[in-house]
Amino acid sequence: MSFVAGIDMGAKSTKVLILDEEKRIQGRSVVKTRVDFPAVAKEAVNTALQQAGLKEKDLSYIATTGFGRYNVPFRDIQITEITSVARGAVFLFPKTRCVLDIGAQSTRAMRILGTGKVQNFRTNDKCAAGAGGFIERAAKYLEVKIEEVGDLSIQATKPQTISSVCAVLAESEIINHVSSGEKIGDILRGVHNSLASRALALIKRAGLEDEVTFVGGVARQKGMVKALEETVKTKVNVSEEPDMIGALGAALLALRRLEKIRQDREKETTTEETRAV
Amino acid sequence: MTPLRKILCTESSNKQVVCHTRIVCKDVYYLNKIQELGIFTNSFLNLGKTHATTHSFHLNQYRQFGWHITCGKTIQRTDRNEQPFERSRDEMTSENFVDRYRELIEDPTFSRIVEWKANHSGSKIIGCYPVYTPVELIHAAGMLPVGILGGGNRLEIAHADSRFQSFICSIVKSTLELGLTGKLHFLDGIVFHSICDPARNLASVFQRNFPQMMVEFIHFPQNMVSPHTVKYLSAEYRRIKSAYEGLAGKAVTDEALRQSIRIYNEQRKLIRELYRIRSEKPHNLSTAECYVLNRIGTLLPVEEHIAIVKEAIAAINQRDEKPKDRIRVILEGSFCEQPPLELIEGLEAAGCYLLDDDFLQGWRWFLKDIPLDGEPIQNLARAYLDHSVFSGVKHDLREPKSKHLIDKVRETGANAVIILAAKFCEPALFDYALYRQALEREGIPHLYLEFEEKMWIFDKSRTEVETFVESMLFD
Repeated sequence: MSFVAGIDMGAKSTKVLILDEEKRIQGRSVVKTRVDFPAVAKEAVNTALQQAGLKEKDLSYIATTGFGRYNVPFRDIQITEITSVARGAVFLFPKTRCVLDIGAQSTRAMRILGTGKVQNFRTNDKCAAGAGGFIERAAKYLEVKIEEVGDLSIQATKPQTISSVCAVLAESEIINHVSSGEKIGDILRGVHNSLASRALALIKRAGLEDEVTFVGGVARQKGMVKALEETVKTKVNVSEEPDMIGALGAALLALRRLEKIRQDREKETTTEETRAV
Repeated sequence: MTPLRKILCTESSNKQVVCHTRIVCKDVYYLNKIQELGIFTNSFLNLGKTHATTHSFHLNQYRQFGWHITCGKTIQRTDRNEQPFERSRDEMTSENFVDRYRELIEDPTFSRIVEWKANHSGSKIIGCYPVYTPVELIHAAGMLPVGILGGGNRLEIAHADSRFQSFICSIVKSTLELGLTGKLHFLDGIVFHSICDPARNLASVFQRNFPQMMVEFIHFPQNMVSPHTVKYLSAEYRRIKSAYEGLAGKAVTDEALRQSIRIYNEQRKLIRELYRIRSEKPHNLSTAECYVLNRIGTLLPVEEHIAIVKEAIAAINQRDEKPKDRIRVILEGSFCEQPPLELIEGLEAAGCYLLDDDFLQGWRWFLKDIPLDGEPIQNLARAYLDHSVFSGVKHDLREPKSKHLIDKVRETGANAVIILAAKFCEPALFDYALYRQALEREGIPHLYLEFEEKMWIFDKSRTEVETFVESMLFD
């Protein structure tokens, strides 16, 4: 049995997933991304290997993705987060033709084919207001743990408006809401709504399709999912671990490459045998 | 093992290293090492980005961390003991010409040419704005033609914005900025051509702002099928010739012109050879290297360039690199404005072998040699008409551009086309419409990217190219 690893090195956390040839998950890990990327990758892979009861040499192919994808020296291939997320999403939700990925620092929307091949995509500009980092700042300001944001937001009864497109200016809007005594949940939902409307613009530019699959760390927040559903007005798929989709897609592509390499080798052997005959 | 990340440096007199840093921090390990030196602040060092800045620091600071100076120009770290993992598998093992000549082509002060002028007193230099300059006429008059191709991404535009609108391409503004900041003081003349409206106006702006410079303008024929085209262009070249005879203070004989054509034919032959190697064995010669080797031809005397390229070809022929799993691409850009080297390198690193391009570097105007028999001026004019490399500014009804591109894809066996167009470049955008229709008709995958010479963040374009490559590799 061969095993492959998908490493998704994100701005906030590094996710690793180990798959066997039957596409079954054997090990996983999530480690906070620090400056020394190679060490972080090594640590995350070792944890996942331990869980799977495997050794480093058992990994036949390693695919990396995410913004630190080039910083893993022991990789076989690096894949963009757009390609890997698309593959992961279509594996879990075969009917999806549209994927939205909101991570800590960036947001991407893509239109894909049934095979998971990316047809068109758009990424956010270099601005914090469009990604998870913005929610984190808002949570910090409202003195709420990031894990609680989703549950507070979904309970909102009177979502507040955060209209500014700039994260810094949006913060002063949040302060205004706090000082006028608005509920924290309502403010957080306003933050989610603001993110959702920005995401909608990206999705539309990439090409909005019936079923949107929402992935990335931010998709863990229930309030955000609700806000997105209300904004895009279509079915929104969210898996149990939306932040692992990038690592999953990378691992699936690693399996594809491994298969291809084997086929090529077999072909070579057959040709050599034919020549020998 | 391969040499590791390099930092291009020049050593100054007091043992200080002036570091025109181009630190490609793709590798956190080195990023940490550089940070440990305490020379750069965090803001300069961002992952995956290339930064351009200038810093001074003491040599010993580097030595302390196992870096040492080689060739007096490059700081290179060779101590691998602290290396926690094996190297990534994507580095070329032989010496890279990009490292050797990067400084020469990216130096916005043209120090090499200034030095040349100081050593050749009385010699005149003519700046050549893109494209199709008949450099043989300049050479035959005993003057040095120098390519003036904008200011790259090391030049801050401060003055030129007051002369041109915000929707004008970067090369026009940065070329003017070079002039307005006194960096073109070594030029005795400059020549522009009828390639687009901003270039046309740039000639007039130069005339007004730099009265000491002889500003010439060549009107190229737009009608390639008229029987009078060669006659017209010959007359235009004769006009330029007599202007340069006046400036140089000597007559240009037919024999001298033939001799210049002969020398540039030799250069053309060598450049064709570089293009052939790159197209047939792109794993042995990267496009960034091919580009650099050609572009230095516009910054050095042709004789010197010929010697360099000869030597380079001999070295490249010794290479035996392992071909990588990459897609094979034709790069089309209607280039006048030049993309930053990092962008070209990024396209390749993202998984493309570029088999052909239209950078129009190294005076690569013509695909064939110019005949020596007959009247030389007429031969130059005919070469422009019949054998010039296609570009966004030449309109030839005899062969549609899109057909030319499709033929190029078929001939080289490329799988895809990347259109890399300069921001605000009208000819490139017009061409794109034609190319796109033809590529879609033929079912050839293609990607459109926009660039600016002054860009210095490449993450977005790199991710776009990588995603494009992956959509083909994992089809």
